[in-house]
Amino acid sequence: MSKTKKQLLTTGALILLGICILWAQSNFNNYTLRILNLSAIYAILGVSLNLIFGFTGQFSLGHAGFMAIGAYTTSLLIIPKYYKEMTFLIEPLIWPFSVLQLPFIVALLLGGLFAAIFAIIIGLPVLRLRGDYLGIATLGFAEIIRVIANNIPQITNGALGLKGIPAYTNLWWTLGFTVFTIFVIKRLIASSYGRALMAIRENEIAAEAIGVSLTYHKVMSFTVSAFFAGIGGGLLASLLTTIDPRAFMFVMTFNILIVVVIGGLGSITGTVIAAFLFNFMLEYLRPIEQGFDLGFISFPEIPGLRMVTFSLALLVVIIYNQNGLMGKLEFTWQGLFDFIDRIKNPKNSDEKGVS
Amino acid sequence: MKKKILFFVLMGLFILSSVVVAQDVIKIGVFEPMTGPFAVGGELSMQGYRLAQMQNPTVLGKKIELVVVDNKSDKVEAANAVSRLVNHNDVVAILGSYSSGLTIPGAEVANKAKVPMVVATATNPLVTMGKEYIYRACFIDPFQGSALAKYTYNNLGIKKAAMLVDVAQDYSVGLANFYNRTYKELGGEIVSNLKYQTGDQDFSAQMTQITSTDAGALFFPGYFGDVALIATQGRELGFKGVYMGGDTLDNPKLLEIAGEHAEGVVATTFYHPDAPAATEASQIFIDEFIKEYDEEPNAVSVMTYDAYNLLISAIEKAGSTDADAIKDALASTEDFVGAGGTITIDDMGNAIRPAVVIKVVNGEFVYEATIQP
Repeated sequence: MSKTKKQLLTTGALILLGICILWAQSNFNNYTLRILNLSAIYAILGVSLNLIFGFTGQFSLGHAGFMAIGAYTTSLLIIPKYYKEMTFLIEPLIWPFSVLQLPFIVALLLGGLFAAIFAIIIGLPVLRLRGDYLGIATLGFAEIIRVIANNIPQITNGALGLKGIPAYTNLWWTLGFTVFTIFVIKRLIASSYGRALMAIRENEIAAEAIGVSLTYHKVMSFTVSAFFAGIGGGLLASLLTTIDPRAFMFVMTFNILIVVVIGGLGSITGTVIAAFLFNFMLEYLRPIEQGFDLGFISFPEIPGLRMVTFSLALLVVIIYNQNGLMGKLEFTWQGLFDFIDRIKNPKNSDEKGVS
Repeated sequence: MKKKILFFVLMGLFILSSVVVAQDVIKIGVFEPMTGPFAVGGELSMQGYRLAQMQNPTVLGKKIELVVVDNKSDKVEAANAVSRLVNHNDVVAILGSYSSGLTIPGAEVANKAKVPMVVATATNPLVTMGKEYIYRACFIDPFQGSALAKYTYNNLGIKKAAMLVDVAQDYSVGLANFYNRTYKELGGEIVSNLKYQTGDQDFSAQMTQITSTDAGALFFPGYFGDVALIATQGRELGFKGVYMGGDTLDNPKLLEIAGEHAEGVVATTFYHPDAPAATEASQIFIDEFIKEYDEEPNAVSVMTYDAYNLLISAIEKAGSTDADAIKDALASTEDFVGAGGTITIDDMGNAIRPAVVIKVVNGEFVYEATIQP
């Protein structure tokens, strides 16, 4: 298939997505829109975590920390002055945040940038660690961010958190940034940098032996990942309209980790599918814990049953499909046409594989 | 094959669960933390709602159905839960959550969707601020904090106090701030202002420092588990002053954990059976509660019980399930007789009600004083 044709198809798909968003914004109720927004944010967070964990093979558990940095930065830059004066009860907000109010897009990007700067500072020493040790160090980093947020009330308002964040987040922003994230990370993976990252994942010593700079590539991957985590955090803050340090506990990181593992380590497509599946499942499983009546037998209310069922579903996926839903496979136009082709003429199926 | 079977079983469950027999009911949504760190609060809240529903099962001649959704003690889930109640379950009104941190995102969603909400125990001022569809049955932290400060300074005559604040809880930080402000205005002095975090086990450093000052009282507005440890360790280190806290201390568990060291703890709360603010509804509530759950009622259940009845009486007064009619009825609430005292709603949507000061004497909470707003 020619490159022009692929580009044409991608453009077409994007326009179709735009039309879908336009239609969804006016036809879906707020509940469905909220879950769609949340799913898209999870997709951004998942794809960015996949870059460092799935593609570079570095077990990072610091995503919640970067999200917190992005969320706080974005929120502080978009909350109207009036709310800032009202919510900062313990100590007044320090300059320059007390007077700044920027457009949402600028605030989001600055949030991402801030997270990225932190990633460089943290990444340089920490990325020398490997495997579980890196996981523990980054988990520690996320917890440190949360504890700091609790203890600098002149910036974060401490445990009271930020309130009155304008609700800018809508499908255009969330899905727009999802597309942007996928585009950037996809291009990065396909570049020579991406090959270097995957070489590091497969074997660090071998990669170094063929001239890949470990520190440079690891830190770069970590920084890009943190940038999008920051943007995801900013979008989440504007969706919720209130944040506090407790929203960025390690559970947040694990939720995203679940999305990445279920979708398949090293598959952007899988992560996106898993992000939507995760959020819709959590909501659509609600009826089972509300108790129901089948006429002949009635089940009592059992709070938490949703999470039990969800965990079981996770187990099933992990046991029967260890590589996650997609493994390392990606959606490609070629793959789609091959698939259609195979359905049309089953005989040819041996000749072409799924790309 | 196994996967397929499992899939079909799950699908079957879904389909069956969605078959709900259509009835002429009025649906009221409840979002509470049924799981997670605040699950105990959610449990106590549900006891109040359930008891009230048992006594008051109908409104406008229709049966009331409580649609309970879990918010997992999580902000994201809290907003989702309310969104679901509004858009999926089409509830008429919502009863709100334990913990201000969870209630605020939920209230935001409800207010935007123009669905009236009655909050039972979330005391942060921002819960109702600027939201015309949100009302609450309890007092707010500025009042509670200043009531305690006044009680320390005026009633107990203590001019120097220390504070030990849980920096990880918005409730604790907020209340301490209001206490501090009023106490200083009255002329008191905060000689020591220290911090801890939820889940800390060792408070000897903070308590040694506080004991070395001449503070006559220690204000610790935390959750009862941590406070019980602080009280115990403080007494062991020789702190002689009065212990003071907010409504979270009105919990039998505090007495269980701290034992003799809880003796003399002073706290503000919403109600006490011996308080003059108690109404004829109070005794009915206490009797029924003990009969139903076989345990002493607690402050949280009283408030949720009142929140339910307040909402039902507003629907009754509105004469319809129209959101604006219910909202107006709630806003005009005056001298509603609840089990925890009479409630009047001010123009900010908050309840004007007295705070009750209680004290631990011989291992029991006894009534001390009432502080009028």
